[in-house]
Amino acid sequence: MYTLRRWWDRNWLQFSLLGLVIGTAWIAKQTQSAAIFEVYQLVTRPFQSNPPKQEVMADAKTLELQTRLEEVQSQNKKLRELLGYVSANQTKGIVAPVVGRSADHWWQQVTLGRGSKAGIKEGYIVTATGGLVGRVISVTPHTSRVLLISDASSRVGITISRSRYMGVMRGMSSDKATIQFFERVPDVRKGDAIATSSVSELFPSGLPLGRVESLNLSQSPAPEAVIVLSAPTSYLEWVVVYPGNL
Amino acid sequence: MTNYRSSLKRPHPLINVSNWHQNTRKIANAIVIFCSVMLCLLSLPTRLPGMELLGLGPNWLLIWVVAWSVKRSAFSGAIAGLTLGLIQDGMTAPYPTHAISLACVGILTAFMKKQRYVEEDFISVALIVFGMALVAETLLALQFMTMGDRNLAEIWTDNQRIALTSAIISSLWAPVVYYPLNRWWEKINLLDQS
Repeated sequence: MYTLRRWWDRNWLQFSLLGLVIGTAWIAKQTQSAAIFEVYQLVTRPFQSNPPKQEVMADAKTLELQTRLEEVQSQNKKLRELLGYVSANQTKGIVAPVVGRSADHWWQQVTLGRGSKAGIKEGYIVTATGGLVGRVISVTPHTSRVLLISDASSRVGITISRSRYMGVMRGMSSDKATIQFFERVPDVRKGDAIATSSVSELFPSGLPLGRVESLNLSQSPAPEAVIVLSAPTSYLEWVVVYPGNL
Repeated sequence: MTNYRSSLKRPHPLINVSNWHQNTRKIANAIVIFCSVMLCLLSLPTRLPGMELLGLGPNWLLIWVVAWSVKRSAFSGAIAGLTLGLIQDGMTAPYPTHAISLACVGILTAFMKKQRYVEEDFISVALIVFGMALVAETLLALQFMTMGDRNLAEIWTDNQRIALTSAIISSLWAPVVYYPLNRWWEKINLLDQS
């Protein structure tokens, strides 16, 4: 008992400091390091707002319009076949600057410079010129973190805009992504436009994603296609955030 | 070393650390540690021009852990790695945890006892950072494999790309963190011993 007491008298400071340090780290982990992102936003505010890369933006814009047009045409045709068309009311999006990228090398994330004070909530959809970009996964008062669709852990339900065949898209940590189709022999061609599917729970339907670049229909267990994402996920500078149930 | 001793004899008139009380030095050391960690954490999400290779920036926390553990015990290296790893988990995603890989980096660096093999300089620290970045990213890749929500082949190709890029860019930027911190801790240690 006495030796224990003596040990404590000698080491209590180190011991409690150790506890404090690990405790702080644990709290940081539990609170999603909210404090750090708030400070980050505060520090980087003077350096934000760069002019967007015009060419990339223009290119992406045309691609988006093409994809969207195709999607709209196809949907329109379908809708005309149905009676009782209900118009979805569009809500206004929240425009947010991208202030940071992922804090490590394995995740494709971005940090936005607007948070819950601007009305962003977890699960909101993030779009940019070019179409869907990702989903908000955590929010602090002035920042929010977005998991991009190019992340390998992202899954998005998709439809081929032309033929309405469905599949699921998986990111490849770059500007490409792979699609696995549900059907054995899907009607898909090189250059087909891809949009989010109407059965997706996380994303609203009909958001443009990209175009089919190559096909591997003999792939097991399901036929696969590689698509090029139309939104430039590595040059994002401004994005628009929408509520999930658009 | 010679450089350092001469700077002791002619201390800067404004900031003369050797005149400070021991407790003041301890507090100053704590502030330096806190601020340097904070700076590393805040640099993580940035991708400044010149600090970017294939879209990846330097792994600042890894550099900090190496700088910290080079002259310390394996235990303190592990604690530093654990702490920073937990914070980085909060900034990205809780699984797989960065705490394991950074703690391993701390322990390995402390065990290397580099003074025995090579002269103490930037190059050897850069080399250690290079090796440790490979170790850290591979440990993360192994954790991704056990999680099972990513394709094994993709994890492996990603790991090659990420580990190599991270190792190159981190070792290039390692002296920026290592040099000032190492100088400060050397000074503090020498003053504490005298």
